[in-house]
Amino acid sequence: MNWRAELQELRLREQLAHEMGGADKIKRQHDGGRLTVRERIDGLVDAGSFHETGAIAGSATYDQHNELESFTASNCVFGRARIDGRPVVVAGDDFTVRGGSADAAIHEKSLMAERLAAEFRLPIIRIIEGSGGGGSVKTIETKGRANLPGGVGQSMLFHYTSANMAVVPVVALGLGSVAGLGAARLAASHYSVMTKSSAMFVAGPPVVARVGQNLSKQELGGWEIQTRSGAVDHAVDSEEEAFACARRFLSYLPNSVHELPPKLDGDDDPDRRDESLMEAIPKDRRKVYKVRPIIEALVDRGSFFEMGAMFGRSIVTGMARLDGRAVAVMASDPYFYGGSWTATACQKIVRFVDLAETFHLPVVYLMDCPGFLIGIEAERAATIRHGVRAMAAINQTTVPWCTIIMRNCFGVAGAVHQPAGRLALRYAWPSGYWGSLPLEGGIEAAYRADIDAAADPIAKLAEIEQRLNTLRSPFRTAEAFWVEEIIDPRESRPLLCEFARLSDKLVAPGPSAFPVRP
Amino acid sequence: MSDTSVLSELNAVVLTIAVATGDRVQNGDTLIVLESMKMEIPVTAPRDGTVAAILVQEKETVEEGQKLAVLGE
Repeated sequence: MNWRAELQELRLREQLAHEMGGADKIKRQHDGGRLTVRERIDGLVDAGSFHETGAIAGSATYDQHNELESFTASNCVFGRARIDGRPVVVAGDDFTVRGGSADAAIHEKSLMAERLAAEFRLPIIRIIEGSGGGGSVKTIETKGRANLPGGVGQSMLFHYTSANMAVVPVVALGLGSVAGLGAARLAASHYSVMTKSSAMFVAGPPVVARVGQNLSKQELGGWEIQTRSGAVDHAVDSEEEAFACARRFLSYLPNSVHELPPKLDGDDDPDRRDESLMEAIPKDRRKVYKVRPIIEALVDRGSFFEMGAMFGRSIVTGMARLDGRAVAVMASDPYFYGGSWTATACQKIVRFVDLAETFHLPVVYLMDCPGFLIGIEAERAATIRHGVRAMAAINQTTVPWCTIIMRNCFGVAGAVHQPAGRLALRYAWPSGYWGSLPLEGGIEAAYRADIDAAADPIAKLAEIEQRLNTLRSPFRTAEAFWVEEIIDPRESRPLLCEFARLSDKLVAPGPSAFPVRP
Repeated sequence: MSDTSVLSELNAVVLTIAVATGDRVQNGDTLIVLESMKMEIPVTAPRDGTVAAILVQEKETVEEGQKLAVLGE
């Protein structure tokens, strides 16, 4: 006696599950330039490391003798796997099975994948295509009743969709058309990537047509729309690149908030002094410069990994390493509004520093901020509301913080260059230039009476400007100890690496005082 | 090669136009200088080519996403 016959049935059922939606549907998936969910999982994780849960869950039909006649797998495929040797949870939508929507999914599978991540403290990668377990109007007919979103028995998936972000790294890949709950699961992540042939939207073209907009999928939710809107962090040409981005992002983070980020052996001299930094900042203050080469010159060679490059572009954000330690880097980009904080830049900062705080990453801020964006558009965008949210987010951090003032530091947005109320490390380059508000316009406001009384108001204005400018040397500020240190820009990397080493003992595992929001 | 539109990446004012229609330019050459927050922000050629059209004038206000110039072969 043995169980061979039963095991044969088990293998048969697993084999049927691996057939997914059938050869025709798989061909359609491939013809569209897209991989199947199982190919995606294989491409994402370490070879042979995927251990599936619930493979044989699905819907079956039986013949008159109660023998299995046909089987269609659930369109949620999930399990544990390893990425660079570290355990993760992967949950993918199978678009070949009725377009990946909820009427074929077993709700509990998506839920268990999220719970597995939360309770076993493992990063989760959501591979999303379709409505990601969301509904279809067809279910009204198949179930004979209309679904109440978030109704009895449904709320836990919504709970984990955002709550997991306070516990484990959540990466989401949008591969194909993503709508509804799928779009929510894509956006509710720490890092999201879509392919350039994909599209993501709350509701797709047929639904949008009914509100009078006739748009293609790409026009409605293509990568240019979604990366510029900040709904998706990054767009790539191929699914393989999306997998590489997910692996790279996770390499900087701990498995959960209960651990610290992995530390590598640095392969770049921490005392390296990059000569390019001597001329990185133009002497003409109206001239811009490229900030990414400055970041590259400061961090461990090749370690900078930018996130959200197309959104809130006056601030560059990304992960990097300093002497092997993972850090969160923010840097001003003067090409966009001179590096001033726009409403979208502030939204980007909130999300980014929350990520750093959640996963215990020290923050390095390379600043050149002439203040908040000014003007009527900025007022209409509630820049100050988003600005004070960014200020609060920075002030709420407890992770070690180091700021290098590269050039401008003006106004309230300038003041928020380090968390208020606790000590951070701060260095200024000799190109540092600061004040409560800029001279241009500031003089007219403060010296109105003098200017009006002058015989030649324009000459008077120029004279006052000249007078004030002679007092603006950063050395005078340092003399009064209003700034603690002005450094040779080439000393920045050794000092930043020292900061990263000092941070080792200042971060502790555990949940952050506030749970992060998407 | 089809024409390439050069778009403004931000709301700004056109400060100077550095090239004229018909000029041969190389990838990275400055086509137009925009001004925003008192900074001069160069708009550069995304590839080698010939300036097929300049669609803005100096002192003109431009918006993010607005077409500034067209590059031909």
